[in-house]
Amino acid sequence: MQGNSSRRGSVAGLPAGSGSALPALLLVGLFFIVPVVALLLRSVTDPEPGLQNYAALFGSGTYVRVFLNTFLVASVVTAVTILVAFPVAWMLAIMPPALGSIVFGIIILSMWTNLLTRTYAWMVLLQRTGVINRALMGLGIIHEPLPLINNLAGVTIGMVYIMLPFMILPLVGTLRAIDPMTLRAAALCGASPFAAFRRILLPLSLPGVAAGGLMVFVMSLGYFVTPALLGGTSNMMLAEMIAQTVQSLLNWGLGSAAAFVLLVVTMALYAIQLRLVGARRTGGGI
Amino acid sequence: MTRPFLSIRAVRKTFGAFVAVHDVTIDVPKGEFLTFLGPSGSGKSTTLYAIAGFQDPSSGDVLLEDRSLLSVPPHKRNIGMVFQRYTLFPHLSVAENVAFPLRVRRRPDGEIKRKVADMLALVRLENFADRHPGALSGGQQQRVALARALAYDPPILLMDEPLSALDKKLRQEIQAEIRRIHRETGVTILYVTHDQEEALHLSDRIALFREGRIEQIGTGEDLYLRPASEFVAGFIGNSNFLPAEHLQTADGASTIRLAGGSIVTGVKATTSFGQGQNVRLMVRPEAFRLTPTPTSVALAVEIVDTAFFGDRRRVVARTAGGDEIDVRPTSDAEVGDSTATSGQRIFFDPASAFLFPA
Repeated sequence: MQGNSSRRGSVAGLPAGSGSALPALLLVGLFFIVPVVALLLRSVTDPEPGLQNYAALFGSGTYVRVFLNTFLVASVVTAVTILVAFPVAWMLAIMPPALGSIVFGIIILSMWTNLLTRTYAWMVLLQRTGVINRALMGLGIIHEPLPLINNLAGVTIGMVYIMLPFMILPLVGTLRAIDPMTLRAAALCGASPFAAFRRILLPLSLPGVAAGGLMVFVMSLGYFVTPALLGGTSNMMLAEMIAQTVQSLLNWGLGSAAAFVLLVVTMALYAIQLRLVGARRTGGGI
Repeated sequence: MTRPFLSIRAVRKTFGAFVAVHDVTIDVPKGEFLTFLGPSGSGKSTTLYAIAGFQDPSSGDVLLEDRSLLSVPPHKRNIGMVFQRYTLFPHLSVAENVAFPLRVRRRPDGEIKRKVADMLALVRLENFADRHPGALSGGQQQRVALARALAYDPPILLMDEPLSALDKKLRQEIQAEIRRIHRETGVTILYVTHDQEEALHLSDRIALFREGRIEQIGTGEDLYLRPASEFVAGFIGNSNFLPAEHLQTADGASTIRLAGGSIVTGVKATTSFGQGQNVRLMVRPEAFRLTPTPTSVALAVEIVDTAFFGDRRRVVARTAGGDEIDVRPTSDAEVGDSTATSGQRIFFDPASAFLFPA
């Protein structure tokens, strides 16, 4: 900071070039901070001042169930995403760079495709008379269509698919930093491939798993489109509930309270993760 | 008859059309310190990796006490290895790194604790047990790697250029440690290096690799004093090569004519040469004298440079034929005469010189 403050164009101790970040900072300030404050105010003033919206939220079995379900779905999606992403990330980490960038491109490409399109595509694939059920029945593997949509399975499949890149990217970074020679050394020390994975690769990749996992978990907590289209009425998630509360019931106070609780939970999780990963870095010498 | 402890039989490794290792065969007795020496790409590391199980040979076999290792996966070979790069597990303490091979073998805690203490004492790092590898110097890390590789009493220890990342002083220090550990444990060591001094210092025997083949295998003295080829003579120690013409050989002694015209008689002939065949005369720098001895022959030279290295001097001389010679006078008295630059003579005993085909 001190070294930078003498540079041309710097303002009062800020690094040079801070000025060009101003538009983005204004944007975040105006369109994020201000609405969040407005949201908070609304949750304690609408329809009248007090905490009755929060009381209603935590007092009602229905709303508590939506909260629990939201966490359940986010947890399942995060766990499955980690399991699916890990082998892909490992493959990318040890692949020759030229081939790796092609596979990387494919993964990024999926992120650029419209979310709604991809979710509708899953509806076509997963429904009772969808491609997957008909193929399985045609092959004689099943006789009755599997319930793949409008339930937890449907939401999980659709969301894992969307979340994969967010898990793979940080994980590849962490895995690339691990010297493959370390695993060879572990093998010669007598570690079976599974033991080497459990005792060496997994602990060394934890920072990446934590970073990606938090990202996926937080994004899943507030997800709307995919749970709304692929989920069932019995496992509604928080974002959908907020939308209904505001749009159908016109209860802005309650919707604001729910949105604010979601924000607080998200930030608390982020703080915990920072703490854990930060502590590992200094203590573990990674 | 005693069977060899470790037997490398006609091991061959090809990568496409490239033959990295050509049918290498070596028998290693138990407890030997054998070094694979050679320039990079000579097949020494590939041979070592075939023993470790990281690379399957294209043909041939590796037998340990008469049982083939090839079908055994690396983690079941029970072989110790120290790598060129630091391969300690960064998230584990020094003690846990050394304990790792014992933990995966599910040894009881008491035994692990005892063994880790023994191993850290062996590499003299008792006070570093709770540190993490990141807090150790390169030399300390390689000593921990050595302790980790020996913790499970492997019959063979492989070392793949373990000191190449260290500076010279540290390298010599750890070489002494390795010698001591070899003496104390009696483990059979296969050691790969491209550093001939390291090989001479450490090994019972040296296998000198060249382009995937073993050029010569023997003790350091064999390779230094009785080199089988010009390549060996050039790779081990310093050598001067002077172009010459072979005139005749009688009773195992050859007569040659050097490029400058001088005739030298009584050179040891290891192979037979035809009359008039071009040869190269090899003389070690320390075989040259600045003063004559009863059996020596003289060479007219011009002194180009003298340099002082503390315990020795180095004199660069140029022959009448224009070849530069590296001379290592062994005492200060000899150097006294070499201040003048031209019209000098240096001497060598023809019996200490070798002839190789040109």
